[in-house]
Amino acid sequence: MKRVLYPAVIICGLALSACSKSSDSGSTQSFTSIETDVINDFVNKTALPQYNSLVSAGATLDNNITTLNTTTTDANLQTAQVSWKAMRQIWERGEGFLIGPVEGGDYDPNSDTWPTDYHQMDSLLASSNPLALSDVQSLPQTLRGYHPIEYLIFGEGGSRKASELDARKKKYLVSLSADLKSIVTALLNDWTANPVNYSNAVMTAGVSGNGTYAKRLDFFLDITGDNGMAGICNEVGQQNEDGKMWHPYLSKDSSLAESPYSGNSLADFKNNIIGAQQVYLGLGGGKGMKDLVAAKNKALDNKIQAAFTSAINSFDNISGSDNMRFEVAIYNRRPAIQAAATQLNTLQSLLENDLIDFIQTNVKD
Amino acid sequence: MKKFYIILTLGALVYTFSRCNKTGAFPDDGYDDRLSGGSFTTLDASTQAFKQAIDGLTDRQERVHTIGDGTFDQVFVAAPAPHFGGLGPVFNNISCINCHRNDGSGFPTTGASNSGLLMRISIPGQDEHGGPLAAPGFGLQIQDQALLGSAPEASINISYTDVPVTYPDGTIVTLRKPVYTVQNPYTSMPAGYMTSPRLAPRLIGMGLLENIPESTILSFVDAGDKNGDGITGKANYVYDPYTKNMEIGRFGVKANTSTLLMQVATAYQQDMGVTSFAQPLESAYGQSQFSTVGTGDTSPELVDSLLNYVTFYVQTLAVPARRDVLDSVNKRGATLFTQVNCAGCHRPTMQTGVNPAINLSSQRIHPYTDLLVHDMGEGLADNRPDYLATGREWRTSPLWGIGLLSKTNGGTAYYLHDGRARSVEEAILWHDGEAATSKQQFMQLSFVDRVALLQFISSL
Repeated sequence: MKRVLYPAVIICGLALSACSKSSDSGSTQSFTSIETDVINDFVNKTALPQYNSLVSAGATLDNNITTLNTTTTDANLQTAQVSWKAMRQIWERGEGFLIGPVEGGDYDPNSDTWPTDYHQMDSLLASSNPLALSDVQSLPQTLRGYHPIEYLIFGEGGSRKASELDARKKKYLVSLSADLKSIVTALLNDWTANPVNYSNAVMTAGVSGNGTYAKRLDFFLDITGDNGMAGICNEVGQQNEDGKMWHPYLSKDSSLAESPYSGNSLADFKNNIIGAQQVYLGLGGGKGMKDLVAAKNKALDNKIQAAFTSAINSFDNISGSDNMRFEVAIYNRRPAIQAAATQLNTLQSLLENDLIDFIQTNVKD
Repeated sequence: MKKFYIILTLGALVYTFSRCNKTGAFPDDGYDDRLSGGSFTTLDASTQAFKQAIDGLTDRQERVHTIGDGTFDQVFVAAPAPHFGGLGPVFNNISCINCHRNDGSGFPTTGASNSGLLMRISIPGQDEHGGPLAAPGFGLQIQDQALLGSAPEASINISYTDVPVTYPDGTIVTLRKPVYTVQNPYTSMPAGYMTSPRLAPRLIGMGLLENIPESTILSFVDAGDKNGDGITGKANYVYDPYTKNMEIGRFGVKANTSTLLMQVATAYQQDMGVTSFAQPLESAYGQSQFSTVGTGDTSPELVDSLLNYVTFYVQTLAVPARRDVLDSVNKRGATLFTQVNCAGCHRPTMQTGVNPAINLSSQRIHPYTDLLVHDMGEGLADNRPDYLATGREWRTSPLWGIGLLSKTNGGTAYYLHDGRARSVEEAILWHDGEAATSKQQFMQLSFVDRVALLQFISSL
């Protein structure tokens, strides 16, 4: 009898183990192995390439502003504007994962504080402050970073002319862009080098002694929750006075928009969500959170991917075929803004409820 | 026979009532030790653990909490400005979140955008309510930043000297003793001025502490040290300029503020130079810098609703759950925590009152504080009285959430009223005065037991 039982037990065991490896996606890779890939690919194919691109974009902007300073023409001003928008795109996509040094090292508030203190900016420009790099770096955050540069190179309604840039404004601009370049370089450095070396902290998630992510679960929750994909959906789409879209929409006040001078607010919002989508899908052929979800629940993966697509496409309905700026759309295309916010709310709910539940249920290490 | 039935009935009644009485005594082990904040507990243990709202808010309350959250994070700028104007003319920082990083503690530096330390100041004597006497030209706080064109009141220089401490087992821990120097004052410093450094505290569970019955706090006082453990404790009573009453102090490192409304309003006024209905005067009022904003417009710079919303936000922040409560080392640490009488001041458990405004029913909570002020010895003394708190007395700091401080603070945590301690162990070694016996007992523990006690504290 026992001889009959032993093979039966073994066969049952093999069958059960095979069941555990099977997945909705048909992959035979173990779940923990997918976890490893998702974590490593997030660092090496999503986060680091973006931060490297950000540093390059910062150098380009800085070079173009240096050129604008020496040769102050409308053409060079336009080149600087284009490079500001290019850098802004990478930065905003990086906000799809606000984990680690970008917040902990104050790189976000030092470069992207809103609103700009225009009253003090007038005082600063009228003062005898030398406006050297070190002077700008000691200014309040409301006088540093993207938005003071935006105001200086775009002006009210994007109408800035090179001839309006006097010596003091140009001196301030040169130091602002050098400061911004320095900020994003330090941000990358915190991801790649000691003492912070956040890449290592992520890639050793769950390894004994890791004070940042004692468990891999902690990382996956972080990248999905308030500081990750769900968080940025909330920041852009929440329907109250704290929402990036909703506050200007509700108040019918374009000055409350994120990037009103460049007219880049809508691009900012869309890039935020694209950044979150990149975390979910993975970049550069690497694995993303989708691979983790699809391994166990393809239906949920399909829902999340569809929700990302709908949310991102909904911004195009705001700009429309006439490429309307968000600062105008809050008056003239309000239903499209409402619809985009609803799409973002749906996506956020999927991420912070269904995906978080999935992670808590399935990630065991 | 009739007598028998009467006796039987009475007996049954007595038995029934006695059973009812017994069901009221719910055993301690029937509670979940993880629920530090009772129903106000969150299971979030991430960098955002201190920013979580309590469960069960209505749609309206959730909206108020969210707007309060946004306002808490919002930077203010110089007036006139279309939005969020009113900063300064002198200030310590430009938003709440710049000091309370992730709603936690701050960095023990001054004068920078990420600084979380400020310096209180006063001169000898008391004001008409028994509080500190404002220093002429400075008020009750040194604002070390100013709008362009205005003068900061002064800058604060911090230097540290090493103080080695040796355990009986030979282990040496080096503490750092701070020296604070007021530099570059915009006007001459008043004679006999006294200063007191304050590090921004974490905000979790404030709504619960606000609703601990005064009688409960007073029950912790052991005037005359009747139990002979060296711990007495004292409630601070402070003046609330909004209610115009003397009230029991609960907040601040000297328990010198009675309500969260006043705590928030005073922070906006003193730390940011933003006035409100509860603190309508600029911090620089009467000083030379006031001329840069003294336009005659006395309307609050922070609208009434936003002050109320930020207050509600702070009141409805949840407390992170304890982690690893079943871990054997943590259990050993918990026993030692009681054994060396840390719990004599850091009271583990108490019951809140009821407050329908924040959906608070009576909750059993674990704040690890008694909200009393205690003599902590000469090493920590600021020698600056604050109402009934002497220059050696400090409020027992709540320990809940302390183990997550490093995570919420970008990887580096600082402890005690001025952030001089870089670890919980250093903080313990600074204890003296009423806590001297407990510290000595801690130092007598074996290395393994010390680690267990520290690990237990980190699980809070």
